[in-house]
Amino acid sequence: MTILSGLLRGMISGATPILLAALGGSFTFYAGVFNIAMEGMMLTGAFFAVLGSYYSGSWLVGVLLAVLGSLLLALIFILFAVVLKTDEFVTGIALNLFAVGATTYLLRQIFQVKGVFTHPGIHPIPEIHIPLVEDIPFLGQFLSGQNLIVYVAVLATLISFYIIFRTPFGLRLRAAGYNPACLVSSGVPTNHIRAYSLLICGVLCGLAGAFLSLGYVNLFSENMSAGRGWISLAAIILVNGNPLGLALISLLFGLSDGLGLLLQSYQVPAQFTSMVPYLATLVALFFYARRGRRKKRFEVI
Amino acid sequence: MIQKSINGILGIFTALLIGAVMMLAQGFDPLATYQSLFDFSLFRSSSLATTLKNAVPLVLTGLSASMAFASGVINLGQPGQLLIGALFVTLGGLYIDLPPILMIPFLVLMAMFGGALWAGLAALMRRAFNMSEFIVTLMLNMIADFFTLWAITNPLKDESAFSAMTPPITRSGWLHEIGAFNPSILIMLAAVAGMWFVFNRWNAGYEWRITGQNSLFARLGGCKVDRNFVSIMLVTGALAGLAGGMVVMAGPHRFLRGLGANYAWDGVMIAIVANSGLIATLLYGLFFSIFQTGALGMELITNVPSEIIVVLQAVTVLVIVASREYLNITLDRLAAKRRARERF
Amino acid sequence: MAAIEELISLNNIVKVYPPNVLALDDVSISFREGEIHALVGENGAGKSTLMKVLYGLVPFNQGNIFYRGRRVRFQEPGEAIAAGIGMVHQEILLIPEFTVWENIVLGSEPVDQWGRLDEERARQLVGEKIQEFQFHLNPSARVEDISVAARQKVEILKLLYRRVSVLILDEPTAVLTPQEIPLLFAELSRLRASGHTIIFISHRLEEVLALSDRITVLRKGKKVATVEAGETTRQELARLMVGRDVLFLSRRKPQTPGKVVFKTENLNFVNNQSRHQLHNIQLKVHAGEIVAVAGVEGNGQFELVNAIMGLNQPTSGKIFVDTTDITQTEILERRRLISFVPQDRGKMGASLSAMVMENAMMTHHRLNPRFILWKGLLLNFNYAQIFTDQIVDRFKVILSSKFSPFRSLSGGNQQKVILGRELLLDNPFLLLDQPTRGLDVGSIEYVHEQILRIRQEGKAILMISADLEEIFLLADRIVVLYRGELVADLPSDKTNVEEIGRYMLTGKAIPE
Repeated sequence: MTILSGLLRGMISGATPILLAALGGSFTFYAGVFNIAMEGMMLTGAFFAVLGSYYSGSWLVGVLLAVLGSLLLALIFILFAVVLKTDEFVTGIALNLFAVGATTYLLRQIFQVKGVFTHPGIHPIPEIHIPLVEDIPFLGQFLSGQNLIVYVAVLATLISFYIIFRTPFGLRLRAAGYNPACLVSSGVPTNHIRAYSLLICGVLCGLAGAFLSLGYVNLFSENMSAGRGWISLAAIILVNGNPLGLALISLLFGLSDGLGLLLQSYQVPAQFTSMVPYLATLVALFFYARRGRRKKRFEVI
Repeated sequence: MIQKSINGILGIFTALLIGAVMMLAQGFDPLATYQSLFDFSLFRSSSLATTLKNAVPLVLTGLSASMAFASGVINLGQPGQLLIGALFVTLGGLYIDLPPILMIPFLVLMAMFGGALWAGLAALMRRAFNMSEFIVTLMLNMIADFFTLWAITNPLKDESAFSAMTPPITRSGWLHEIGAFNPSILIMLAAVAGMWFVFNRWNAGYEWRITGQNSLFARLGGCKVDRNFVSIMLVTGALAGLAGGMVVMAGPHRFLRGLGANYAWDGVMIAIVANSGLIATLLYGLFFSIFQTGALGMELITNVPSEIIVVLQAVTVLVIVASREYLNITLDRLAAKRRARERF
Repeated sequence: MAAIEELISLNNIVKVYPPNVLALDDVSISFREGEIHALVGENGAGKSTLMKVLYGLVPFNQGNIFYRGRRVRFQEPGEAIAAGIGMVHQEILLIPEFTVWENIVLGSEPVDQWGRLDEERARQLVGEKIQEFQFHLNPSARVEDISVAARQKVEILKLLYRRVSVLILDEPTAVLTPQEIPLLFAELSRLRASGHTIIFISHRLEEVLALSDRITVLRKGKKVATVEAGETTRQELARLMVGRDVLFLSRRKPQTPGKVVFKTENLNFVNNQSRHQLHNIQLKVHAGEIVAVAGVEGNGQFELVNAIMGLNQPTSGKIFVDTTDITQTEILERRRLISFVPQDRGKMGASLSAMVMENAMMTHHRLNPRFILWKGLLLNFNYAQIFTDQIVDRFKVILSSKFSPFRSLSGGNQQKVILGRELLLDNPFLLLDQPTRGLDVGSIEYVHEQILRIRQEGKAILMISADLEEIFLLADRIVVLYRGELVADLPSDKTNVEEIGRYMLTGKAIPE
C-alpha cells in the first residue's frame, strides 16, 4: 500500500509543474506561436519565488514575484518575436539561455553562493487540508493535504478549457493559430492575441516555477527546471494542446518521475532513475508517431 | 556581406552597452571590466592562443548546428553528442595504448564515432518510427547527461580522485601545445574547411542545402531526402562528438563532471546568430570564445561574476537576429521610397 | 447635369513593394454608390494591389483616399470594415476546422452575461442573415465540408453580417464552375438592388461585360481607361489590357496521336487522413497528345499529381510511363521519364532563396553525366553555369544574374526557368499543373507556344487546369475529375464549355 501511495504522491508532485507549464504553452500553441521558452520562464519563476519568499518572509510574495519574473521573460519574448518579428524559435532558445545565465549570475550576486541556495528562511507554500475530504478512506490522503499549487493547477486546467473553448477570446485564439490572415481580415489584430497568449503562459510558468522551488523542494539550484519545459512541450504536441488531455498526460509523466524514485529503492542507480521521465517521453512520442500525422500547427514537427 | 558585418557589429556593441548598464547598476566599472576582458582574451601574450583553443568546442558544435539547420534538420542534440564523443575518447584512451602518431587519429575517430552514434540513434527513431528528431535529440541530451554521470561515478571512476571523474587517458593521446598554440585549433580549422567543401562542392551537399530551403522541392527533384537526413545527422553528430573529444584531449585529459559545460548550447546560439553560415559560424565562435576566455580574467581583476557573459551572449544573439530582420526590412523600405520618388 | 456622388475616390496612388517593384504608378479611380464596377487587367497589372491599398492591407507611398467625402487612410482591414467596406480575397480566408457560424461571427461574437460565447444566439443571427440574402447555407456545417462556391458565400456573408455597404471581390469566378457563375452574378445583382456597391476584380472579360456597369482597365500599374460596359467590346478591353491586339485563336493543329505513353490502371487512393480520394482512375495519354484534366479544385487533382510524382502511395492500381510500371518506384527514377511543372512555384517548383542556377540544375545534377565529376561525388559547377545559360537563352528568361536569388525574378520568368529545366530533361511524359496561373498575357502566350511545340515533337502531356479557356485552346482530349472519379473523357472538339462545366459541378452530363 505504501509503495502505491508513495508512487501516487510522487505522481501528483511530478505532474504539477509539467501541467502548469504545459497549460501555459497550450495558449501559445493554439495561437500559433512557436514557444519553446517555457523552460526559461519556469526557471526564472523558481528563482524569483525563492528571492521573494526569503526577503519578505512570505510565500505569497514569493509566488507573486515568481509570476512577475516569468512575465518579464514573456515580455521580452513579445518584444522580439511579436513586435520585432524575430524568429520565434531563436527567441525561445536565446531566452532559455538568458534565463540560465541570469539566474546563475543573480544567485551568485545576491545570495553569494554557487550551485544551490537553501536556507530555513525560505518560506514554502503551504499544504491545504480539506476537513471532510481527508477522511475519505484511500483517496483522502491524495485529495486533501496537497500543496496549494496543486489545487491551483487543477483549477487552471478547468479555467483554461473554458477560456479556450467557450469564450470569444478562445475562438480568436484558435483562429490565430489556424489562419492568422483570416483573423486580420475579420478585424482582429493577431499580434494582440499572440501577446496575450504569451502573457498567460508567463503567469502559468511562473506558478510552475514557484512550485518547483517553494513546494516540491525548498531551495533554488542552478538549472533546476531540468528539462521539464521540454517535456511540457512534448506533452502539448502529444495531445494537440487540449487542456484536459494535458492533465492526463502530465499525470503520466509525473508517474514516471515517481517510478524513478521507486526504482531507487530497488538499488537502481540514481542516474538511471533520473532518466525515466525522458525515456517516458520518448515512449509517448513513439506511440504518437505511429498514429500518423495529425493537423500540424507548426511545420517543424 | 557588408550588411551582415554591420549587423554583427551593431549587435555586439549593443550587448556590450547593455552589459555596461547592468554593471553600473551593480556598482562595477564597465570600462575597467571590458578592458580586462579583452586583455585576458586577446592582448596578453598567451591570451590569443587560449582564446583560439577555447573556441574549438564552440566552433565545432556551432558547425554541427549550422549544417543541420541549413539542411532542414533539427539536430539539437549537440550537448549529448558531445558528451558521448568525450566518453568514447575516454574509453579509448583508458584501455588502448598506441604511439601518439596513431593514438591521436584513433581518438579523433572515436570521438566522431561516439557523436555520430548518439545522433544516429535519433536518426533511427525518426526513420523507423517517424519520431520527430526535435524532441528525440533533446531527450537524448538529458539521457546522455545522466548516463555519462553514472559512467564516471561507477565503472570508470578514478578512485583516487575526490569527486566524480575518470583517471587520465594515456599520455600519447594528449594534445600538447606546440609553442603557444594547441593542435586542436588546426583540427577545428580543418573541420570548417572540410564542411565548407562538402556543403558547396559535394553533390550531396548541394542536395542538403536545397532540402534545407525547400524539402518538398528537393524531394520532387529526385533528392533522396530521407537518406540524406540520416547522413546529415551522422555528420553533424560526428562534429559535436569531435568537440567532446577535443575538450578531453586538449583540456583536462580525462572525463570530469561538467565537462560539456555550456559549449553545445552556445554552439546552437552561434549557429543561430551566424544564420547557419559556415564562415560566420567560425567568426562568431571565435567571438564567443573571446567573451568566455576573457570572462575569467575579468572576474579576477574587477570581481564581476563571469556568469554575466552568458547574459551578454544571449543579448548579443537576440539583438543581432532581431536587427538582421529589421535591417533588411528598413533597407528595403528605403529603396522602395526612392523608387516611388523617381518613377519616371 | 447633376454630379454623381463619388462614394470612394483614390487619387494619385503610388505603391512600391520593397525594394523596387512599382506596383501602382499614379493611379486615380473613383467608384459610385450602387454600381457594379469591374477592375480588369492582366496578372501583375496592379488590380489586387489597388484594392489592398484601399482596404488597409498594404501601405502606400503617395496619394490619398476619400470615402463619403472624408479623407481616410485605413491602417488595417478592421478599420475598413468598421467604415463599411469589405473585401473577399482570391484565396478563401476561412478557418476550415470551424463551422460556418463560427467563421462568420469571428471578431464580433455575441456573448452572454458570463462572458461566454453565446452559441445559440450566434447561430440564430447567422441564420437570419442567410435568410435575408437568400444564400442557402447551413450555419452548423464545417467549412471544410462545404463546396468552394458555398465557402465564397460564407466569406461574403461574413462581411454582410458586419453591415458593409461596399463589397470588393478579388477574382471570385476563378474557383467556380460555369454553372455557378450566373448564380453568383444573380446574388451580386440582388445586392446592388438593395443598395450595395460592388467592386469586382477579374481578368475574364466576358463575365465582366455581362455583370458590370462600368469597367476600369489597369495595365502595368497605370490606369488606362474607365468605360461604360455597354459601350465597349471584349476585343477593345483586351487591347487596352495588353496594349496590343490579342488573338483568341487556337494555334493547335490536329495531329494523330501515337502510342500510349502514360497509363493508369484502376488507380485508387483511399486515406483516413485525406478528405479527398481517388477512385478507379483509368487514364491514358498518347504521344503527341495533350490531355487536360478539368475539375473544381479539391476533387482529387492534388492526390493524382502526388500519386504520379511519387509523393503518396496509391492504395491499389498501377501507373505506367512508357510501358514501365512506376507505381512503386522512387522519385528519382520517375524523373527519368516524367517532367513536372507544379502548381505552386514557391512550394514545389523551386527554392526561392537559392540561386537561379541552383534551381535550374535540380534533377539534372543526378541525371546528366556532364554535371558529375569524380565518381558522382563532386558537382561540375562550370557546366552548371553553361547549362543555366542555355536555359536563359532558349527560353528568353530576363534576369540580372544567374547567381541572384530565384525570388528576384518575375513570376513569368520564374515559370520560364522551371519550364526550361523540365523540358530539357527530354522526357516522354510531361505533367503540368496550372501552368499559366498568375502569369501576364505575354508569358501565358509563350508558355502555350512551348506546350504546343513539344506536343508536335511527340511528347505526351497531361495538363491540369482551372482555366476552361486554356483547356479548350490546348487540349486534344478533356477529362473531368469529380469527387475523385473520372466522370468524362471527351475529345475537345466534340464538347463545349457548358458540358464540361456540368460535369465539373455535378459529375453528370444531364442538368439537375
